Amino acid sequence: MDRGMIGVLPRPTKLEDESYLEFVTSFRKFMIGDGFPIMAANGEAEIGRQIEAGNLEAPAEGGQLPLDKVEQVFAKVPVVPTWQRFVRSQQEMMWRGTRASFMRQADAILDRMDAAEASNPNNIHYDPAFQAPDYTRCEIHCQPGGYTDDPLGGVVFHYGTKVFYEGFNDQDELHKELADKATAPSDGKVSKVLDVACSIGQATTVLKTRFPDAEVWGLDVGRPLIRYAHMRATEAGSDVQFKQALAEDTGFRDGEFDMILSYILFHEVPVPKMIEILAETYRILRPGGVFSIFEFPNNNLGELPPGYRFMIENDSRDNCEPYSPEFVASDFRGLLEGAGFALEDGPAASNEFLQSIVARKPA
Amino acid sequence: MTDQDTKRQPRVPEQLGQEIGGRGRVYFENVVIDNILDALLELSATVYAHRDRVAVLEKVLEEKGIAVSDAIEAHVPDEAELAVRAEERSAMVERIFGAFLRRPTHQIGDAAEMPKE
Repeated sequence: MDRGMIGVLPRPTKLEDESYLEFVTSFRKFMIGDGFPIMAANGEAEIGRQIEAGNLEAPAEGGQLPLDKVEQVFAKVPVVPTWQRFVRSQQEMMWRGTRASFMRQADAILDRMDAAEASNPNNIHYDPAFQAPDYTRCEIHCQPGGYTDDPLGGVVFHYGTKVFYEGFNDQDELHKELADKATAPSDGKVSKVLDVACSIGQATTVLKTRFPDAEVWGLDVGRPLIRYAHMRATEAGSDVQFKQALAEDTGFRDGEFDMILSYILFHEVPVPKMIEILAETYRILRPGGVFSIFEFPNNNLGELPPGYRFMIENDSRDNCEPYSPEFVASDFRGLLEGAGFALEDGPAASNEFLQSIVARKPA
Repeated sequence: MTDQDTKRQPRVPEQLGQEIGGRGRVYFENVVIDNILDALLELSATVYAHRDRVAVLEKVLEEKGIAVSDAIEAHVPDEAELAVRAEERSAMVERIFGAFLRRPTHQIGDAAEMPKE
């Protein structure tokens, strides 16, 4: 039977799947929310003990312990591999459970996306011959097939990230907040808006609601994602455009957009690609236009505590975030300024983990 | 759009996932520990799923007076019920897994290392 939707959220195809995934959600919340500080504190305490015992050289004033030393010490603390085991396992359970559930309705989901394309063909744009470059095809967050290779990737991403967000984004609450907080140009002219790396369009449709007279586009490299985004928007009666393209090669004209929004894009691309994306974003934004960025925190001054550095490295290796350590260690603001943007702090998100930057293209 | 035939109904592979497939990650010198922890987690999820179903069944029985499996599948919890279930779920997670955070090291943890009372 079709168990329908809860608001904008698809329900897993069986109650037992839903219960299983709710358990994973609670476990995730416990192990990351409560477990990470304990893991980090115990690892850092062990570093202190090893330095005190003379087994480890203390970093110079203002310096930091090399990451391999941090990992060596942390590995000896029993809570660390326990935490790593559980975090990895719950992530695998999340994706296995989600995909297995929606696989039961694979044909029906594909039919719905096809029906949306048939009824609303002018709002989705992709080249069937488009080949996603290898760097975009890694299975970020361990999602099977990544963003590009699973035809069911949209719905799997949708419910999988519902688990990831631990219940606080079930009805796109976070995306609504970020789209509402995206900064408009000072002159108030907003006729064309881009949600770059829009994924399943959770913020894109909100931008259209906020600017009903504007032409609103969502762009993403994953065709399964934009097909699902287009289906959701079409079924909701939202007149937004979705396009499959690379953020560094959007195909848009110079100065076409008044506003651009990105949410946690840049830690998922290599730094050289990030630089290309910043140049492309600057190119397609009009003078006076605004690029609103909500992103992972970064710090290129060596000020991150060992536990956080360990977590980022672990996340990179074991949660398939291959590019995030390089991003975290980068001078992100310097690169934005190098692309030509004038920066200011953006409005804080309720998710305090995120940094918020407003990047203006000088008028 | 063009080339309708190639874009419609792409084949959906049953198995996908280089990351979560294969032999999996190992974090302990003795892989049995990895396996026990995985088994414990799956067991817990399974126990919870059964428990959740019973809870829903009881709720539906209360509402309908009769057990009907479709009625169980169609049940939509209200906000109050969701909150109760979330609280019970969190309590269960802490009951089963609290030990791993209670003894995070081979040294005796002090009170500051306890996750919560």
